[in-house]
Amino acid sequence: MISSPSAGFSRAQHRFFAFCVAPSLAVLALITLLPALYLLATSFTQLSLTRPETQWDFSQPLESYRQLLSDSRLHNSVWVQIKLSFWTVLLQLLIGLLLALLLNIRSRLLEALRTVFLIPMVLPPIVVAIIWKVIYTPDISPMHGIFRSLGWNVPALITDPNWALTSIIIADTWEWFPFTMLMVLAALQMMPQELLDAAKVDGASPWQLTRHITLPFIRGVLLVAGLFRLIDSIKAFPLIFILTDGGPGSLTEVTNYYSYLQAFNFSFLGFSSAITVALLAATIALSWLIVRLVGWGAKID
Amino acid sequence: MQTLAVVLALLALAPFLWLLLMSFKTNAEIFRFPPRLLFDATLANYAALWTSEFRNSFANSLIVSVASTVLSLVIGVPAAYALSRWTGRGGGTITLWILASRMAPPIAFTIPYFLVYRHLELLDTLTGLIVIYLTFNLSLVIWMMRPFYDQLPRSLEEAAWIDGATLWQGFYRIILPLSGPGLAATAILCFLFAWNDFFFALILTRTEAMTAPVAVVNFMNYEGWEWGRIAAGGTMIMLPVLVFSFVVRRYLVHGLTGGALKG
Repeated sequence: MISSPSAGFSRAQHRFFAFCVAPSLAVLALITLLPALYLLATSFTQLSLTRPETQWDFSQPLESYRQLLSDSRLHNSVWVQIKLSFWTVLLQLLIGLLLALLLNIRSRLLEALRTVFLIPMVLPPIVVAIIWKVIYTPDISPMHGIFRSLGWNVPALITDPNWALTSIIIADTWEWFPFTMLMVLAALQMMPQELLDAAKVDGASPWQLTRHITLPFIRGVLLVAGLFRLIDSIKAFPLIFILTDGGPGSLTEVTNYYSYLQAFNFSFLGFSSAITVALLAATIALSWLIVRLVGWGAKID
Repeated sequence: MQTLAVVLALLALAPFLWLLLMSFKTNAEIFRFPPRLLFDATLANYAALWTSEFRNSFANSLIVSVASTVLSLVIGVPAAYALSRWTGRGGGTITLWILASRMAPPIAFTIPYFLVYRHLELLDTLTGLIVIYLTFNLSLVIWMMRPFYDQLPRSLEEAAWIDGATLWQGFYRIILPLSGPGLAATAILCFLFAWNDFFFALILTRTEAMTAPVAVVNFMNYEGWEWGRIAAGGTMIMLPVLVFSFVVRRYLVHGLTGGALKG
């Protein structure tokens, strides 16, 4: 039996904890908080690398933000972003959920298959982009080969205005459906077995079990998974960079990509910073929602 | 049911397997359709790659990923431990800060880092990449390790204290070894996130510090469509990832969501 620790212990512990946390907080402040403030400051300038005198020129602090409201290409990018986010999140939740339900049966084979299904998610994003570049390039694509042997004349999807965004959505869904699958599987394993057994005794069909017991149980997990994917979809970059370069026209140009073009192709870093500040605000708001949903904050405060 | 699952798995894997096969094909073989199941495999693509600049980029990727992993662990692990025992106010704010910096779009950091690195002459240096990789890896360490320490009873360090150990000794000799599996998983995830990065390296490097993912994309842009070499490069980038991911597959969800699911 351990006696309750002395006051000396808790004082020493307090000092020790502060000593442990301080370096991390200092480094985090230096490498994340300071740059975020720098970004905010830059967004109040008209910084363009071709005109160095614009670097710290705050004479028209809100000019970049005024431009946000009037730039139609930006508005188009927001619309593209909404379409991309909506479809990828929806499809990933749906496919991930169905696969998880399918794989949640005790069997050696299915457990091995779970690992196989993870591969798209763990591949480096640039490799995923290369894989889909191959599939979408008619000369070498097995998909187009099959289309040709069926006598179908299918255009190159990534350069076709009607298909470009869809082809990105397909690739992104392929990359990330395992994430939902994993989360749902993890949740399913925590499901109280007694609940299912009781329902089975009462004569519930597999469909009724899924509909009335399983789905309500994993609703929260689906929501959190959806939020994580939603935040990530705002960062979509490698697929668009490799597959379509935002084109044709600006049909696949999401906001993040447009901000990249403004900063590093047109070197309007001031304007790009303003766009990025808006993106960052959206990310922080969604993260806050996750923290609330998961209850991390409540646990600590 | 099981057959359906196998068919779906093959379908889901087909794009990946195609790239893998392509890396062993000659150019003539790559353009052949329908593909021959048994083709004369060649290592020429890998040989060509290994005698090119790609080797340097591969080494850069390794150095940067390992360095950023070690640094993040050294700085972040004690903080994760202390935050797990934290009872004061402000814990929620720190959690949000850590989560937000993990989730922030990379461009939010790239713009200020690019501007500052121009003056510090850190553009196109390995040091520059290692520092910016801390932005996601340090947060990863803290939020990945904290739930591990939450599970360890507080009586452990109290017992060590009563036995005359200092708090540092208690942490170093008792707590740290107990969190070994978590540390290993976290280290691997850190390595993978740094290894997989494309955006930061694309903007902040040119030639000297170029990493493997950027080098492969450069084949595409500057050396025409050398499909065999592109596939070989892609395969070399993904191999370590596949091996390591297999090792830490149990911790993947945990690493990506910081223990948003609780058992």
